[in-house]
Amino acid sequence: MNKPVLSVRQLSVTHRLSGRVVNVLDQVSFDLHQGEILALVGQSGSGKTKTAESILGLLPPDRWDISAQAIELNGSDLAALPESGLRKIRGRSISMIFQEPLTALDPVFTVGNQLCSVFTRHRGQRRREAQTSAQAALGRVGFPDPGHVMRRYPHQLSGGMRQRVMIAMAMACRPSILIADEPTTALDVTTQAQVLDQLVQLGQKDGVSLLLITHDLGIVAQYCDRALVMLDGKIVEQASVEELFANPRHVYTKALLNSAAGAKPK
Amino acid sequence: MTPHGQMLLEVRDLVVSYPARGSAGKPLAAVRSVSLNIENGSIFGLVGESGSGKSSLAHAIIQLTPYRSGQVLFRGQDLASLKKPQLGAARRQMQFVFQDSLAALSPRRSIEQTLLEPLNHFRVGAPASRAKKAAAALETVELDADMLHRYPQELSGGQRQRVALARALVTEPELIIADEPLSSLDAPVQARIVDLMLKLRAELGIAFLFVSHDLSTVRRLADKVGVMYLGKIVESGKTESLFQQPAHPYTKSLLAAVPVADPAHPAPSVLTGEPPSPLTPPAGCVFHMRCPEKMERCPSIEPIEVAVGKQYGAPENERELKTAGHRVRCHLWDDTK
Repeated sequence: MNKPVLSVRQLSVTHRLSGRVVNVLDQVSFDLHQGEILALVGQSGSGKTKTAESILGLLPPDRWDISAQAIELNGSDLAALPESGLRKIRGRSISMIFQEPLTALDPVFTVGNQLCSVFTRHRGQRRREAQTSAQAALGRVGFPDPGHVMRRYPHQLSGGMRQRVMIAMAMACRPSILIADEPTTALDVTTQAQVLDQLVQLGQKDGVSLLLITHDLGIVAQYCDRALVMLDGKIVEQASVEELFANPRHVYTKALLNSAAGAKPK
Repeated sequence: MTPHGQMLLEVRDLVVSYPARGSAGKPLAAVRSVSLNIENGSIFGLVGESGSGKSSLAHAIIQLTPYRSGQVLFRGQDLASLKKPQLGAARRQMQFVFQDSLAALSPRRSIEQTLLEPLNHFRVGAPASRAKKAAAALETVELDADMLHRYPQELSGGQRQRVALARALVTEPELIIADEPLSSLDAPVQARIVDLMLKLRAELGIAFLFVSHDLSTVRRLADKVGVMYLGKIVESGKTESLFQQPAHPYTKSLLAAVPVADPAHPAPSVLTGEPPSPLTPPAGCVFHMRCPEKMERCPSIEPIEVAVGKQYGAPENERELKTAGHRVRCHLWDDTK
């Protein structure tokens, strides 16, 4: 297999709150390869989102202790970077999209305005140039009329359209990694299929590596290459998707697969 | 036809519309002539995408949203014709469970106070007996009695949704209308609530109108299913008939879009485009703009509801049994070509 784009080793995170210390992540290690779709599966509270947030340095250091042997992105260690260095990485090398796009978009600015600011801030483009780039970005995620979407405010778009705007925004700087945290949980099945299709195409066309956080084993089975199974802040199993479904090793994975089989059409 | 006595809820040609701004005074038609029946102790699953009018329909049935025309009959009584006290009595028989349990439960009331509220409101039994009833309802939804003195925000999402169910149960209703009650919960928690609803139906004979966009849950739970698109029920029938032999291209697309937990299964297919705005519903069939099987007359002529089954190869009597009541609004099934 090719060299990993992202390599996480022994990532542990503890949370301090009014004198109590909680272990949130316990020695999490995994690799993400180029163009791969890696699923991070587990129940809410298992530490999936915290894994993503600690990689991106999004957890405030006054309450969270993060220790890791290494978090390497294309060979350079993120854990050793100061906040200013991390800000450059965020958005440019690693982007993230969230479950609820309405809270991730600013309600008082148009879509075009928000998308353009990504190009002016991260790519140093001028206003006019950013406009063109933004239109092209919206075209790539399947909007037939990008100019129209540019003039809309987030609340004027449907959930699926908003999530595609988020993808366009996340991909604006051509990052090598996209982290998607339950990107389709709030969407209908038909819209979910559209959005997941977009994400898969990113990997195939642009070689983007995708870390897909989900609790839906159907999505894991049909869209992902490999999977990490998380339980109580630990990765309890990792395997290729075929292997995981054919031959689950950990008790928890077996229980997960069984509950999914129960929900499956008879 | 089922005799009147067995029919719990009958909805006839219901139309719900809202005044809308910016459309030259034209109202937004959320529900456009919907009819459905729920028998005693049965579970009706109403599925559709967001914006299809599912919630508007659920709210109109329980008279939370006014409707423009049509009828809602509960035990044969037209709810719109009832005076306030009688409507109150009918409402005691049909309770509502909302999607967001945190918003639906008052943060300032303990669980016990929350459960006592409907009992006091409807004056159920002697005041002294009500605390006992509240505790019993909590037991029915499989929560410990020590929850009585806790507050909604101290509970998990699954526990809160159980409390919401308990609150619906205390008045001993015949029908519970549940609008996306599981969508904010984890899969294993959802599965346990589904089991609980099945138990309530089996042990207490409670009927449900279960509104959801989750097809696999509806398949597990419902006896009959209605598929809604842009304010219309485009297909309805017994759950197995509808899931095994989906007749409407929209139902087929919905089913094909669900990812299956099996890597060998063919990938979900993608339905292109977005549903049209309910402000400007298309002429002809509501689905023609996205339909993969569109024919010449679909954009101009609106299909009527017809029975599914004539096109099956099975012998007449067997076919009748399997597909009885399976109906679809689609020109593909229309014989009057």
